[in-house]
Amino acid sequence: MKNLGFLFAANLAIWGGIVFYIFTLMKRNRALRRDLDLIQETVKKESGK
Amino acid sequence: MSAEHELEEEETGTRPGEGGQVLFWLTAVGFVGALAAIFVFVPTEVTEGIVQRIMYFHVPCAWVAFFAFFIVFFCSVLFLWRREREWDIYAHASAEIGMLFCSLVLITGPIWAKPIWGVWWTWDPRLTLTLVLWLIYAAYLMLRLQTAEGSARAKYCAVVGIVGALDIPLIHFSVLWWGSQHPAPKIITSEGLGSGIDTSMGITLLVALGAFTLVYFLLMSLRVNIEKMKDEIDRLKKQRLYSN
Repeated sequence: MKNLGFLFAANLAIWGGIVFYIFTLMKRNRALRRDLDLIQETVKKESGK
Repeated sequence: MSAEHELEEEETGTRPGEGGQVLFWLTAVGFVGALAAIFVFVPTEVTEGIVQRIMYFHVPCAWVAFFAFFIVFFCSVLFLWRREREWDIYAHASAEIGMLFCSLVLITGPIWAKPIWGVWWTWDPRLTLTLVLWLIYAAYLMLRLQTAEGSARAKYCAVVGIVGALDIPLIHFSVLWWGSQHPAPKIITSEGLGSGIDTSMGITLLVALGAFTLVYFLLMSLRVNIEKMKDEIDRLKKQRLYSN
Protein backbone atom coordinates (compact mmCIF):
# COMPACT_ATOMS: atom_id res chain seq x y z
CA MET A 1 0.00 0.00 0.00
CA LYS A 2 2.90 2.31 -0.84
CA ASN A 3 1.86 5.84 -1.88
CA LEU A 4 -1.67 5.43 -0.50
CA GLY A 5 -1.43 9.02 0.78
CA PHE A 6 -1.11 10.34 -2.78
CA LEU A 7 -4.23 8.46 -3.89
CA PHE A 8 -6.08 9.80 -0.86
CA ALA A 9 -4.92 13.38 -1.58
CA ALA A 10 -6.02 13.15 -5.23
CA ASN A 11 -9.45 11.84 -4.18
CA LEU A 12 -9.79 14.55 -1.56
CA ALA A 13 -9.04 17.22 -4.18
CA ILE A 14 -11.52 15.78 -6.71
CA TRP A 15 -14.43 15.21 -4.32
CA GLY A 16 -13.72 18.37 -2.35
CA GLY A 17 -13.64 20.45 -5.55
CA ILE A 18 -16.82 18.98 -7.03
CA VAL A 19 -18.81 19.03 -3.77
CA PHE A 20 -17.71 22.62 -3.03
CA TYR A 21 -18.77 23.76 -6.50
CA ILE A 22 -22.17 22.00 -6.21
CA PHE A 23 -22.62 23.60 -2.79
CA THR A 24 -21.93 27.12 -4.16
CA LEU A 25 -24.28 26.50 -7.12
CA MET A 26 -27.06 25.37 -4.79
CA LYS A 27 -26.49 28.38 -2.54
CA ARG A 28 -26.69 30.77 -5.52
CA ASN A 29 -29.71 28.87 -6.81
CA ARG A 30 -31.57 29.17 -3.48
CA ALA A 31 -30.86 32.92 -3.17
CA LEU A 32 -32.02 33.61 -6.75
CA ARG A 33 -35.09 31.41 -6.34
CA ARG A 34 -36.07 33.46 -3.27
CA ASP A 35 -35.61 36.74 -5.19
CA LEU A 36 -37.49 35.41 -8.19
CA ASP A 37 -40.45 34.18 -6.12
CA LEU A 38 -40.58 37.53 -4.32
CA ILE A 39 -40.54 39.62 -7.48
CA GLN A 40 -43.07 37.34 -9.20
CA GLU A 41 -45.36 37.71 -6.21
CA THR A 42 -44.96 41.53 -6.26
CA VAL A 43 -45.62 41.75 -10.01
CA LYS A 44 -48.72 39.56 -9.63
CA LYS A 45 -50.05 41.74 -6.77
CA GLU A 46 -49.37 44.95 -8.68
CA SER A 47 -51.00 43.72 -11.87
CA GLY A 48 -54.08 42.63 -9.87
CA LYS A 49 -54.65 46.12 -8.42
CA MET B 1 -46.91 27.77 -5.64
CA SER B 2 -49.48 26.49 -8.12
CA ALA B 3 -48.83 23.59 -10.48
CA GLU B 4 -49.55 25.92 -13.42
CA HIS B 5 -46.90 28.36 -12.18
CA GLU B 6 -44.33 25.59 -11.76
CA LEU B 7 -45.05 24.35 -15.28
CA GLU B 8 -44.54 27.88 -16.63
CA GLU B 9 -41.16 28.07 -14.84
CA GLU B 10 -40.14 24.70 -16.27
CA GLU B 11 -40.90 26.04 -19.73
CA THR B 12 -38.84 29.24 -19.20
CA GLY B 13 -35.99 27.11 -17.81
CA THR B 14 -35.94 28.75 -14.38
CA ARG B 15 -37.00 25.56 -12.57
CA PRO B 16 -35.50 22.19 -13.44
CA GLY B 17 -38.12 19.68 -14.51
CA GLU B 18 -38.24 15.90 -14.29
CA GLY B 19 -35.30 15.73 -16.69
CA GLY B 20 -33.07 17.26 -13.99
CA GLN B 21 -34.06 14.58 -11.47
CA VAL B 22 -33.44 11.79 -13.97
CA LEU B 23 -30.01 13.27 -14.72
CA PHE B 24 -29.21 13.50 -10.98
CA TRP B 25 -30.04 9.84 -10.38
CA LEU B 26 -28.22 8.72 -13.53
CA THR B 27 -25.12 10.59 -12.34
CA ALA B 28 -25.38 9.08 -8.85
CA VAL B 29 -25.66 5.55 -10.28
CA GLY B 30 -22.83 6.28 -12.71
CA PHE B 31 -20.58 7.37 -9.86
CA VAL B 32 -21.34 4.34 -7.70
CA GLY B 33 -20.47 2.18 -10.71
CA ALA B 34 -17.29 4.13 -11.42
CA LEU B 35 -16.10 3.94 -7.79
CA ALA B 36 -16.81 0.19 -7.67
CA ALA B 37 -14.85 -0.28 -10.89
CA ILE B 38 -11.92 1.88 -9.70
CA PHE B 39 -11.56 0.45 -6.19
CA VAL B 40 -12.92 -3.11 -6.54
CA PHE B 41 -13.01 -4.31 -10.16
CA VAL B 42 -9.73 -3.14 -11.70
CA PRO B 43 -6.51 -4.85 -10.52
CA THR B 44 -3.61 -2.78 -9.17
CA GLU B 45 -1.11 -1.86 -11.88
CA VAL B 46 2.23 -3.68 -11.49
CA THR B 47 4.82 -0.91 -12.04
CA GLU B 48 3.17 2.14 -10.48
CA GLY B 49 1.16 0.38 -7.79
CA ILE B 50 -1.93 1.79 -6.12
CA VAL B 51 -1.14 5.39 -7.05
CA GLN B 52 -1.89 4.55 -10.70
CA ARG B 53 -5.59 4.56 -9.76
CA ILE B 54 -5.35 8.37 -9.84
CA MET B 55 -5.52 7.93 -13.63
CA TYR B 56 -9.24 7.01 -13.38
CA PHE B 57 -9.91 10.47 -11.93
CA HIS B 58 -7.21 12.51 -13.67
CA VAL B 59 -8.04 11.43 -17.25
CA PRO B 60 -11.85 11.92 -16.91
CA CYS B 61 -11.22 15.38 -15.39
CA ALA B 62 -9.06 16.26 -18.40
CA TRP B 63 -11.72 14.90 -20.76
CA VAL B 64 -14.50 16.95 -19.08
CA ALA B 65 -12.32 20.09 -19.10
CA PHE B 66 -11.59 19.72 -22.83
CA PHE B 67 -15.21 18.86 -23.60
CA ALA B 68 -16.42 21.88 -21.60
CA PHE B 69 -14.02 24.22 -23.40
CA PHE B 70 -15.06 22.74 -26.74
CA ILE B 71 -18.68 23.60 -25.81
CA VAL B 72 -17.49 27.15 -24.99
CA PHE B 73 -15.92 27.30 -28.47
CA PHE B 74 -19.04 25.93 -30.17
CA CYS B 75 -21.47 28.20 -28.28
CA SER B 76 -19.20 31.24 -28.76
CA VAL B 77 -19.14 30.69 -32.53
CA LEU B 78 -22.94 30.36 -32.50
CA PHE B 79 -23.25 33.51 -30.38
CA LEU B 80 -21.08 35.57 -32.77
CA TRP B 81 -23.09 34.25 -35.69
CA ARG B 82 -26.64 34.52 -34.32
CA ARG B 83 -26.26 37.03 -31.43
CA GLU B 84 -28.65 35.09 -29.21
CA ARG B 85 -28.25 35.39 -25.42
CA GLU B 86 -28.91 31.65 -25.02
CA TRP B 87 -25.52 30.77 -26.55
CA ASP B 88 -23.70 33.23 -24.30
CA ILE B 89 -25.33 31.59 -21.25
CA TYR B 90 -24.18 28.12 -22.32
CA ALA B 91 -20.66 29.34 -23.11
CA HIS B 92 -20.35 31.06 -19.71
CA ALA B 93 -21.68 28.05 -17.79
CA SER B 94 -19.42 25.64 -19.65
CA ALA B 95 -16.33 27.83 -19.14
CA GLU B 96 -16.90 27.86 -15.37
CA ILE B 97 -17.26 24.07 -15.24
CA GLY B 98 -14.28 23.64 -17.57
CA MET B 99 -12.21 25.75 -15.19
CA LEU B 100 -13.20 23.56 -12.25
CA PHE B 101 -12.11 20.38 -14.03
CA CYS B 102 -8.98 21.97 -15.53
CA SER B 103 -8.01 23.02 -11.98
CA LEU B 104 -8.58 19.42 -10.81
CA VAL B 105 -6.34 18.17 -13.64
CA LEU B 106 -3.60 20.58 -12.56
CA ILE B 107 -3.96 19.44 -8.93
CA THR B 108 -4.20 15.68 -9.46
CA GLY B 109 -1.44 15.67 -12.11
CA PRO B 110 1.32 16.77 -9.72
CA ILE B 111 -0.05 14.45 -6.99
CA TRP B 112 0.37 11.56 -9.43
CA ALA B 113 3.69 12.86 -10.82
CA LYS B 114 5.50 13.16 -7.48
CA PRO B 115 5.69 9.41 -6.62
CA ILE B 116 6.22 8.37 -10.28
CA TRP B 117 8.49 11.07 -11.76
CA GLY B 118 9.96 12.25 -8.47
CA VAL B 119 8.91 15.87 -9.11
CA TRP B 120 5.65 17.73 -8.58
CA TRP B 121 5.95 19.73 -11.81
CA THR B 122 8.09 19.89 -14.92
CA TRP B 123 7.88 22.40 -17.80
CA ASP B 124 6.93 19.64 -20.20
CA PRO B 125 4.94 20.77 -23.34
CA ARG B 126 1.67 19.07 -22.31
CA LEU B 127 1.79 20.34 -18.73
CA THR B 128 2.75 23.85 -19.80
CA LEU B 129 0.03 24.02 -22.46
CA THR B 130 -2.56 22.79 -19.95
CA LEU B 131 -1.50 25.57 -17.59
CA VAL B 132 -1.81 28.03 -20.52
CA LEU B 133 -5.36 26.72 -21.15
CA TRP B 134 -6.22 27.29 -17.49
CA LEU B 135 -4.82 30.84 -17.65
CA ILE B 136 -6.78 31.67 -20.84
CA TYR B 137 -10.08 30.61 -19.31
CA ALA B 138 -9.22 32.31 -16.02
CA ALA B 139 -8.86 35.47 -18.13
CA TYR B 140 -12.20 34.64 -19.79
CA LEU B 141 -13.98 34.48 -16.43
CA MET B 142 -12.21 37.61 -15.15
CA LEU B 143 -13.29 39.46 -18.30
CA ARG B 144 -16.88 38.46 -17.54
CA LEU B 145 -16.53 39.66 -13.98
CA GLN B 146 -14.86 42.99 -14.79
CA THR B 147 -16.78 44.10 -17.89
CA ALA B 148 -20.24 45.66 -17.72
CA GLU B 149 -23.06 43.30 -18.69
CA GLY B 150 -24.23 43.56 -22.29
CA SER B 151 -23.65 42.40 -25.82
CA ALA B 152 -20.11 43.91 -25.92
CA ARG B 153 -19.05 41.73 -22.98
CA ALA B 154 -20.56 38.65 -24.58
CA LYS B 155 -18.74 39.46 -27.85
CA TYR B 156 -15.31 39.90 -26.20
CA CYS B 157 -15.79 36.74 -24.15
CA ALA B 158 -16.83 34.77 -27.24
CA VAL B 159 -13.58 35.77 -28.96
CA VAL B 160 -11.48 34.71 -25.93
CA GLY B 161 -13.53 31.49 -25.67
CA ILE B 162 -12.77 30.61 -29.30
CA VAL B 163 -9.05 31.47 -29.09
CA GLY B 164 -8.67 29.49 -25.84
CA ALA B 165 -10.11 26.29 -27.32
CA LEU B 166 -7.44 26.30 -30.04
CA ASP B 167 -5.01 25.21 -27.31
CA ILE B 168 -6.85 21.86 -26.87
CA PRO B 169 -5.56 20.11 -30.04
CA LEU B 170 -2.07 21.42 -29.19
CA ILE B 171 -2.31 19.78 -25.75
CA HIS B 172 -3.49 16.49 -27.26
CA PHE B 173 -0.82 16.29 -29.96
CA SER B 174 2.03 17.84 -27.94
CA VAL B 175 3.01 14.38 -26.64
CA LEU B 176 3.35 13.06 -30.20
CA TRP B 177 4.87 16.18 -31.82
CA TRP B 178 7.40 17.37 -29.28
CA GLY B 179 8.02 14.28 -27.14
CA SER B 180 7.04 14.43 -23.52
CA GLN B 181 7.53 12.94 -20.10
CA HIS B 182 3.74 12.74 -19.98
CA PRO B 183 2.37 9.36 -21.21
CA ALA B 184 1.11 9.25 -24.82
CA PRO B 185 -2.62 8.71 -25.53
CA LYS B 186 -3.76 5.19 -24.59
CA ILE B 187 -7.38 5.18 -25.77
CA ILE B 188 -7.21 6.87 -29.18
CA THR B 189 -4.01 5.51 -30.70
CA SER B 190 -2.74 4.98 -34.25
CA GLU B 191 -3.10 1.19 -33.72
CA GLY B 192 -6.81 1.43 -32.95
CA LEU B 193 -9.27 2.37 -30.23
CA GLY B 194 -8.13 1.27 -26.76
CA SER B 195 -5.16 -0.75 -28.04
CA GLY B 196 -2.72 0.92 -25.63
CA ILE B 197 -4.48 -0.23 -22.45
CA ASP B 198 -5.46 -3.49 -20.71
CA THR B 199 -9.16 -4.47 -21.15
CA SER B 200 -10.16 -4.19 -17.46
CA MET B 201 -8.37 -0.83 -17.20
CA GLY B 202 -10.02 0.34 -20.42
CA ILE B 203 -13.50 -0.63 -19.16
CA THR B 204 -12.89 1.11 -15.82
CA LEU B 205 -11.64 4.23 -17.56
CA LEU B 206 -14.68 4.28 -19.86
CA VAL B 207 -17.08 3.90 -16.90
CA ALA B 208 -15.27 6.77 -15.11
CA LEU B 209 -15.37 8.89 -18.29
CA GLY B 210 -19.13 8.26 -18.55
CA ALA B 211 -19.73 9.17 -14.89
CA PHE B 212 -17.70 12.39 -15.12
CA THR B 213 -19.47 13.34 -18.37
CA LEU B 214 -22.81 12.96 -16.55
CA VAL B 215 -21.48 15.24 -13.79
CA TYR B 216 -20.68 17.81 -16.47
CA PHE B 217 -24.27 17.75 -17.76
CA LEU B 218 -25.67 17.90 -14.22
CA LEU B 219 -23.51 20.91 -13.34
CA MET B 220 -24.40 22.54 -16.66
CA SER B 221 -28.12 22.21 -15.94
CA LEU B 222 -27.65 23.80 -12.49
CA ARG B 223 -25.39 26.60 -13.80
CA VAL B 224 -27.57 27.43 -16.81
CA ASN B 225 -30.60 27.51 -14.51
CA ILE B 226 -28.87 30.19 -12.39
CA GLU B 227 -28.22 32.41 -15.44
CA LYS B 228 -31.82 31.97 -16.62
CA MET B 229 -33.15 32.95 -13.20
CA LYS B 230 -30.94 36.07 -13.24
CA ASP B 231 -32.34 36.99 -16.67
CA GLU B 232 -35.91 36.40 -15.50
CA ILE B 233 -35.35 38.61 -12.42
CA ASP B 234 -33.93 41.38 -14.66
CA ARG B 235 -36.87 41.05 -17.03
CA LEU B 236 -39.43 41.31 -14.22
CA LYS B 237 -37.59 44.27 -12.66
CA LYS B 238 -37.68 46.10 -16.02
CA GLN B 239 -41.34 45.17 -16.45
CA ARG B 240 -42.13 46.68 -13.02
CA LEU B 241 -40.10 49.79 -13.80
CA TYR B 242 -41.96 50.48 -17.04
CA SER B 243 -45.40 49.67 -15.63
CA ASN B 244 -44.97 52.10 -12.68
